[in-house]
Amino acid sequence: MSPRRRRKSQSAAPSEEEVLRILEKWGQSLTEQILKNRYPTLEIPVRTLSNTIWDKKRKILVLGPKKARRSFFDVGEAKRFMQTVLMLSIIVRARREGDYPTIRDLYYTGKHTIYYVDEMGRRRSEETWNDQRESNAVIQDIEVATGLLREHMGIMHDAKGKIVGNVIIRSKGYDIDLSRLGSGAYAVPPNVDKLEIRRVDADYVLVVEKDAIFERLNEEEFWRKHNCVLITGKGQPDRSTRRITRRLWEEFGLPVYVLTDADSYGFYIYSVYRSGSISLSYESERLATPEARFLGVTVTDITEYKIPRNYIIKATDRDIKRAQELLRYPWFKESKAWIEQLKLFIKKKEKVEIEALSGHGFKFLTQTYIPEKIKQRKWIV
Amino acid sequence: MAARLSSRREKFRGLSPAEFFYKNREIAGFSNPVRALYQTIRELVENALDATETHGILPEIKVNIKPLENDHVFVRVEDNGIGIPPTEIPIVFGRVFYGSKYQLRQTRGVFGLGVKMAVLYAQITTGKPLKVVSTQNKSKYEYEFEIQIDIAHNMPIIKNMAIREKTFPHGTIVELITEGNWTLARRKIESYLERTAMIAPYATIVLEELDSKKEYRRVSKVLPPPPETGKYHPKGADLELVKNMIRRSKKSLTLMKFLMENFDGVGKKTAENFLTWAGFDPETKLSKLTLQDIEILVRKMKEYEKWRRPKPITLSPVGESLLKQGVKRILNPSYVTAVTRPPSSFGGNPFIVEVALAYGGNVPQSDTPTLYRFANRIPLLYDEGADVSRKVISSIDWSIYKVKFPAPLAIVTHICSTKIPFKGVGKEAIAEVPEVEKELEIAIREAARRLRRHLSKLEKLYEVKRRKTIIGKYIPEVSRALAYVSNLDEKVLAKKLQTMLEKDIKTRGVINVPAA
Ligand SMILES: Nc1ncnc2c1ncn2[C@@H]1O[C@H](COP(=O)(O)OP(=O)(O)OP(=O)(O)O)[C@@H](O)[C@H]1O
Ligand SMILES: [Mg+2]
Repeated sequence: MSPRRRRKSQSAAPSEEEVLRILEKWGQSLTEQILKNRYPTLEIPVRTLSNTIWDKKRKILVLGPKKARRSFFDVGEAKRFMQTVLMLSIIVRARREGDYPTIRDLYYTGKHTIYYVDEMGRRRSEETWNDQRESNAVIQDIEVATGLLREHMGIMHDAKGKIVGNVIIRSKGYDIDLSRLGSGAYAVPPNVDKLEIRRVDADYVLVVEKDAIFERLNEEEFWRKHNCVLITGKGQPDRSTRRITRRLWEEFGLPVYVLTDADSYGFYIYSVYRSGSISLSYESERLATPEARFLGVTVTDITEYKIPRNYIIKATDRDIKRAQELLRYPWFKESKAWIEQLKLFIKKKEKVEIEALSGHGFKFLTQTYIPEKIKQRKWIV
Repeated sequence: MAARLSSRREKFRGLSPAEFFYKNREIAGFSNPVRALYQTIRELVENALDATETHGILPEIKVNIKPLENDHVFVRVEDNGIGIPPTEIPIVFGRVFYGSKYQLRQTRGVFGLGVKMAVLYAQITTGKPLKVVSTQNKSKYEYEFEIQIDIAHNMPIIKNMAIREKTFPHGTIVELITEGNWTLARRKIESYLERTAMIAPYATIVLEELDSKKEYRRVSKVLPPPPETGKYHPKGADLELVKNMIRRSKKSLTLMKFLMENFDGVGKKTAENFLTWAGFDPETKLSKLTLQDIEILVRKMKEYEKWRRPKPITLSPVGESLLKQGVKRILNPSYVTAVTRPPSSFGGNPFIVEVALAYGGNVPQSDTPTLYRFANRIPLLYDEGADVSRKVISSIDWSIYKVKFPAPLAIVTHICSTKIPFKGVGKEAIAEVPEVEKELEIAIREAARRLRRHLSKLEKLYEVKRRKTIIGKYIPEVSRALAYVSNLDEKVLAKKLQTMLEKDIKTRGVINVPAA
């Protein structure tokens, strides 16, 4: 078998020097406002659903044009302004000194107490931030405002993705063959763009929602038998799992299939791989795989594959509510197949896990279901 | 039956005023030992104030109260007033309906009754006479009398009398021992004196009790201009009054001249117009008038619409500045404002409404505005619920004036008139006379609008102060961060930001906020 030809990536990462220069320039613009006696003001694209746009052509979620002005002299924004520049200075220091902190490190580095006297003359104190949600939020602000992703800025997070298959990557000067890991798998690192994917010898990528299924398929060496790359994000995928999935699609033209439970959460996970998430829509261009295909388990599979009754679970009110929400998202709404699936789900109020396919024997999933669905093109998009 | 009737002899005799009030003392407020003690203090203190402030003297009043055995209480009130001529002393204290305040002008006393009720009550409960020491400025001597009342004849009985060289320049000391419950009356009496101190900031009032001494030092040396003696307004006159006036006039006087001489605001033109309208010949001599003519005259005087408005020279409002000082003295609020309305009238009686509004400071928090009512500078302590002031205050939606209850809000209302429109005989609540009600509402709303302005200024001040804290506290952090990123001196940025903040605060124009 011959390796896949590499294509040019459109979402390559900027260099370290470039990153530092952009961050410094951004901070410098605020300093200059102050030196010119102007109220220092940040302009930050708004990250809410109302400013999230479904790009029909590219089939990804992107950030709209709405920007919020955050002035230090606005009482309601002063604290967030302070938090933003505080975070900026910590990231700049990490870049200057070549450190690679995690978001949790950044939270602890910036967290300290501000002492002050209030308008009634009382001595008081306040934390720069109270929990990691606050520090994470300003990291995201800095990302959207500078157009840099946190991976570019050398910020790590707890990566949880795993990958195996006929792939050779190069990291820190070592070649790693992802087909020679035995019963184990390669843990996707936070900054996927630092990896060089040297060789790919596969026909497609199979992304499975659940770690347990990934382990089973790996144990059976499914990827070797069916010549594919196997990936899991362990539920809701993190950025690096999504990034490596995208790179395999973008740089090597591999089709991507997603396998999840047949319920609203599984469906949404598929859409995150494919289109991006609402809260991180600004990075869709780098993370989304707009041609990803939903392999299953679909709602119609329940009858089509005659899943035994005792494997069928009654959908909760929350499942139904979530499905109704999904029906309103444009990236579901413009797919006939999805409208059908979701409506059926809401009507029947039934869900199943991937494991339900074992009702026909443990080998059913790997020997029948997956190959058959791919061969007969029974995926939906 | 007829035989039985004729066999009984009816006895006829007159009832002396002293006897009447002796039997009906509750009418004058002496209904029980608690109320009686309170009323006694009131009568003596009000006489003391009338003897000073009405005559341009800054009042200096000492009240001394000592509970004795058997529910007896010793009461002594001392003033620096004009004093009483020795020949008048027995009769002003010993004859019901005798006094010097039967002129038309605003004083606290009116009837010539008050102090005699105190004497009568003491006489029937303890049997002790009243003792008075008085001296006038021009006199070299002071006169001391012990007086009781001959109830049946309404005449003073002089138990003792002494003359000696005077020991004080002018004034009067009145002492009596009466029955009363000091423990129960104490709170009312103290609050009466406190309120008196509020409406009379120019008065020094000292209360000495058995175990304590409370002193209200005067906070102003300014007296409100005293009232002038005036004439009745034709609309306010009644049949008795007019008959009395005619009796005292020369019988050759014409009706027109009579009206001009005796009534407020009546000139030749007005008199002529009125008399022609009423169907009288202006040249008619008084001697020609029948009783029926006089009745018609009085009725027409009330009906006539074109009289001039009554002149308020008989009134003596406290005035905005003094009222504010009085309120400050007692309530020590963080904000006070006062409104004295221009004179108005009802049924020929001139009146003036004054209102003060106090907010914050020591003003107690409560769910409705705390009300302090005064009529002719007399504090009204009972029947607040029935009073027109309470009615007006309850009808106002205070939220439009930025007041959120419970709030530290107090309102003072003062009504001055030669005839206070009291509700009922208790003389503690003022009736809902439309003219009075309207003036009260205008005054209270005006004061409330000023309060709202004050509160918005405070709000703004608070906002600006808060702004300064919120932005100011982050300046060090922001300067440090940006200085590091831009390779600059942190102090330069901090100083810049600090200056910008100060400037920003200044432009918000809060320099002239009244100090709390
Ligand atoms: N302390 C005093 N100093 C000077 N004159 C006094 C004093 N107390 C009483 N008088 C005189 O005695 C008179 C009678 O007093 P009294 O209290 O009986 O009646 P009043 O004050 O005229 O009216 P009211 O019945 O409304 O109190 C007063 O009008 C006043 O002339
Ligand atoms: Mg009196």
